[in-house]
Parts: sequence; structure tokens; C-alpha cells
Amino acid sequence: MKTKFLLALTSLSALTLTGCNSPFHYEEHLADYCHALRYRDGFNILQLTDIHWNANTSTIASKRYLDKVFAATATRIGSGNKIDLVEVTGDQFMLANTYHVTTFLEYFEAKAQEYGFSYAVIWGNHDRHGLYNPNWLSDQFNKAAHCIYNDLEDDLYGRSNFIINLTEDGTTSGATKWQIANLDSGASFSETAVSPFRDYDYIRKDQTQWWLKEHALVGDTVPTIAYYHIPQQDNLEAWNAIHNNNKTYKHKFFKLEGFADNGNREYASDFIAEGRKHHLKAAFMGHAHNVDWTVDYDGVVIGLGVKTGPELYYAHVSTEDKDPAVQEGYASIDFKEIFDLIGASMVTLHDGEAFDLQHLYLNERATGDFVKWVNW
Amino acid sequence: MGELVMKRFFDKENFLFPSFEGKAKKQSVAIAVGLIVGFILASFTFFNMLYCFADIVGSIVSGSADVAIADFLRSLPVFLTFFMTFWTVLALQAFFRNLSPEKLHRSLMKNGIAITAFAGVTIVYVIEGLIEGRYLKIAEGSPSALYPLDSVLYAVLFVLVGVFFILYAKKFIKKIPYVVPSRGPVCKKARGAYCTFVTFWCLFALFGLSGGIFTFFIYDFAHGYAFYGIMTALAYLLSPCFLLVWEFYFNELKEEKRKEALLPLVTGALCVSGLVAALYFLSLALGLDAPSNAGFGMFPVAFSASVNIATMLTVVTPLVVSVVVLVKGLRAKSRG
Repeated sequence: MKTKFLLALTSLSALTLTGCNSPFHYEEHLADYCHALRYRDGFNILQLTDIHWNANTSTIASKRYLDKVFAATATRIGSGNKIDLVEVTGDQFMLANTYHVTTFLEYFEAKAQEYGFSYAVIWGNHDRHGLYNPNWLSDQFNKAAHCIYNDLEDDLYGRSNFIINLTEDGTTSGATKWQIANLDSGASFSETAVSPFRDYDYIRKDQTQWWLKEHALVGDTVPTIAYYHIPQQDNLEAWNAIHNNNKTYKHKFFKLEGFADNGNREYASDFIAEGRKHHLKAAFMGHAHNVDWTVDYDGVVIGLGVKTGPELYYAHVSTEDKDPAVQEGYASIDFKEIFDLIGASMVTLHDGEAFDLQHLYLNERATGDFVKWVNW
Repeated sequence: MGELVMKRFFDKENFLFPSFEGKAKKQSVAIAVGLIVGFILASFTFFNMLYCFADIVGSIVSGSADVAIADFLRSLPVFLTFFMTFWTVLALQAFFRNLSPEKLHRSLMKNGIAITAFAGVTIVYVIEGLIEGRYLKIAEGSPSALYPLDSVLYAVLFVLVGVFFILYAKKFIKKIPYVVPSRGPVCKKARGAYCTFVTFWCLFALFGLSGGIFTFFIYDFAHGYAFYGIMTALAYLLSPCFLLVWEFYFNELKEEKRKEALLPLVTGALCVSGLVAALYFLSLALGLDAPSNAGFGMFPVAFSASVNIATMLTVVTPLVVSVVVLVKGLRAKSRG
């Protein structure tokens, strides 16, 4: 009896330690990560980031703000044109619960129908930070009709790693004109079991290798844009190269706080460096709300999207502020007004390898909303 | 062996409860049930409040005090909901361990007024918020679909609870048929330290109970995180378990039996909490990303500075409780 009990206990412990599922190896299922949309010259991608619905959020007020972002974008691109894809690049939620998730997805489904777009959702660090099971959240994204999303039972680090190939005929077998790589840049981790602090996560080497293989499948010369949540070390490297080593990279917009990247060389990501060799044209992220600084870093445009909506925190930008970072930001744009650094970003893809980037600053004001578009 | 343990620790003769008769027995059971239900409600409202609080702290540390103030004003009913529930637990505790009719009267009056005030302010605050436009609808949504309507309904219930305590204190106090002098008096010198210690223990127990229960619903037990998930649940549930043993076992013992039981109980608690803490850190070492990838929602206060400390406090608190009580017990024993 004792032996049987011990045997059962050992099996249970082994199961517990290893987990119940054996994940498949990503290389054997590369096609499973791929979605396709029909490409056209002037394909518009609206990036919304760090929406941060949380326990204190008025979802009615937040939806009203998002309504204005969609309306302003539709006006900007003009009639006869449309938003093709919305990239929601992480931290949709934080300290949220199932009510927030269902309300959020109902809202996005309604807007997707109204404007005729699909939307892709990527995990941010705080999307894990809620009163729901992460697997349940994945299921909700999977079930939403207009949501492009993948979370496979694989051995690839992270959850929302997937590809959207923009093809001539809108099918995965058609010729790819542009590729959109979506990566989960994780949340955080402890360096040891007793570390008092956590490090922000980073794009792991296996994720870079995965994208390289997905890219090779459609042809190594296909231009790619990547979306993920947490900036990697490259943003800071580029900033330091300009400000400390007099490099003359094209750069624009505001950097009013740190990039909140991992910051430890030991955990540096190779994604941008590898991407540079393989037609990665741009990488857009979120995470640091007071930053939308964008730079052309040796051929790859790296930039943080404008934080969407007023949840959690955002920067009040003032012409009176003598902070050199504020003044540098103002010097790079074409207006000098007091405003809040919230809104959205839009990328428009063109034939060849060209793309346009615009940042939208949208502030709700009692005297009339503040709406400004600034070109890259 | 089993019989010996049962005789030593669970003999009916050791406890106060069997000495109660008739109505006193029924009242005691009813109050104990009320206390447990109240504690569970307080635990969940505490967790809910921590969610709002953590977001507000996040706004402050990120330099957006204006957002923090707006969030606090919107979520004030969530905070008040916890306070009215917690004060109800305090009132029920006064009932359960009523040391004398005078003390019970004082406690019920004080807590009854506090509960009614918290509940009344909640109702008025939401109505005022609707008129002022702070809430766009009575069921505006977030953190629940019915918020702030649900806070108002909850507050109405607690107005009744508060009024009941006040009326009971005024009209029926003399009819309470039992007095339970089961807890030794705390000397004046140590009262401050004792209250601080018990308050922190209670707060961790409140956090640990709802956290431990939530673990089973929100943890990703797949993807190799199962060991970590189980250890977190155990770590969370230890504080409320210790509180349960302390209140419903240790304090239920007769005076002379309590001294006998203290050291074996605390040694057991120390071993259990030490083992759980050790296994927890082992499970963390096996998956260093587990806290943020498998159930980050369990650590509302951990996010603001990306620290791991909240997790560690939860694990270490039962250990600290055991050590403190052990030291206290050893000192008492050495004094004879």
C-alpha cells in the first residue's frame, strides 16, 4: 500500500514539475504561425499601444476616446481609403478582469465591422497582470472573429508570436509583398530565485531564429515590419550614438523617460541586428508611455508608438518646459503647443520597400479636441 | 499514536465551546459562521481594493499624480466597500470573544457607527458622482459590469448591518448570555507591538486567502508552471490557515491547555512554513519567469517598481509569524 502511494506521489510530482503537455517544436510547424491579408499599395496599419484598461478605468470614457482616434484616422486617410490593419501592441490591460477583456473585445469587434479592418493583438508585460488565466485570455483573442492572433502549444518563448503576410491575393499561398512579424517580448523575470528585483523581458534568440525561418519561407528580400511591446537595447544604443557619439541618424518625436528596456547586456536581444541583414525595415513597440521617439538606426526604423488613451500615466508636454528632451522633441515637430503625449501611430505601406509613418496626438478638451498629425 | 494526539490536542475537555449551553452555544456557532463569511468577504474586497490601489500607486510613481487623483475619486467606493466589510469583521470578532458586556457594548457601538458611516458615505458619494458627471451611468462598468451600482447595493446592506450592531448594543446587550474570557490580557507596554503584529498578520491573511483561492482560477498550470503555481497557492494560504488555527483552535482552548499547546503548535507551524518557503524558492528557481508569466495577477502591488518583494513577503510572513510566536512561547515557558 505504502509503495503504491509513493509511486502515485512520485508520478504526480514528476507531472507537476514537468507540466502535462509536451509542446511541439516550432520549426516543424512554421506554416501554423502564418496569417494572410490582401496587400494593396497604401496599406494602412494603425498602431494602438498601452491602452491599459484596469480596475480604475471608465470603459465608457475610454471607448469614447478610441472612437475619436478611429474617426480622426478615417478622416486623415480620406474617403475611398481605409484602415486595413490595427496593431494593438501590448498592455491592453493591467490589473483588469474578465469584464474588461470581454468589453474590450466586443468593442474592437464592433469597430472592425464598422471600419472594415482586422486587428492583431500582441501581449505586453501587463496583459498577464489581471484576474484571469492567461490561457483564457488567449482563447478570447482566438475566438474573436476579426482578431488575428496565435498562441500555439510550442517550444517558442512567449505567446503572441505570429506572422501576417500581406500577399497579392490575400491567401497564405500568394506572393508576399510585405511581411508583418508580431512577437511577444515577454513580461519580466528574476535573475535568481531570491532577487528582490525583476528584469524586463526581451526578445529571445529562439524568437529571432523563428522569424528568420518564417521570413526565409516567403523570400529573404521581402520587406518586414515588426511589432512587439518592450523596447530592446537598440533604442538606447541609437539614442546614445546620437547624443554621445555625434551620429547623424534621422530621428524625431519625444523621449521624456527611459525606454524601460532590459538594460543588461547579458540579456541583449539579437532581433534588430539579425533583422538588419534580412530586410527588416522597421520595428514598432510601446511600453514607455512618455516616449514616441523614432530613429532610423542603420537602416531599420525603430520607434515607440504614441501611447493610446489617458490610462495609468502619460506626459504633459509644455512649451514652457526647459528640459532639453522636451525642447529637442518640439524642435523635431512642426507645432509649438501644449499637449498630452497620447494618440496613435500609423504606417502606410507602399510598393517597393517604402513606407510612411505618422504620429497622431489626440487630446480630449472641453473647449474642443486637440488633433495633430505629424509625419516622420 | 493517533489516539494520543487526539487526546492531547482535540479532547473536548480542553475547549471552552462544549461548556456553553443552549442558546449560548447556538449564538456562538452563528457568530463563528458570520465571522468566517465576513472574513471571506473582507478578503475579496481587500484584493479588489489592492487592484485599484496598485494602479493608483503606479500612476503616482510614474509622475501622473493627476491620473492617480482622478482614479482614486472614481474608485473611492471600492475602498469604502473594503472598510465597511473589515469593520464588520471587527464587530463580529468583538461578539465572538466578548470579554465583558461593557467591552462588547463599546466595541459594537464604535464599529456599528463606523460601518454605517462608511456605507452611508458610499451611497451619497455615488449619487453625488452621478450628478457631478464623475460616473457617466449608474452601472458604468469597471471593475465590475455593474459598478458603481453594485457598491451602492452592497452599502445599503451594510447600513442595515451597522444599524443592527448599534441597536443590539443599545437594546439587547444585557441579554447576551455568555462571556468568553478566552484570550489573555495584553500588558499595556506590549499592546502597540501586539496590535501592529496582529494587524499585519490579518492583512496578509486577508490577502493570502483571496490570493490563494484566485490562484486556482487564474494560474497557468500548463507550460511547465504547475509546480510554481501549487507552491504559490500554498504560500498564500498559509497565513489565513495560521489565523484560523489561532482563532478557532488556540483561542478556543481553556487557559491552562493553551500553555501546553503553544510550543507543539508553533514548532509545527515553523516546520510547515519553512518547508513551504523552501519549496517555493525551489519552484521559482526552476522557472524564473513564472511570477510574471503564469499568474502575474496574483501580485497587484508588485508591479509598480517591478519588484519581487511582494511575493517574498507573502512567503516569508507565515514564517515570521511562527518565529515571533515561538520566541514569545519560549520566553513565557522560561518564566514558568
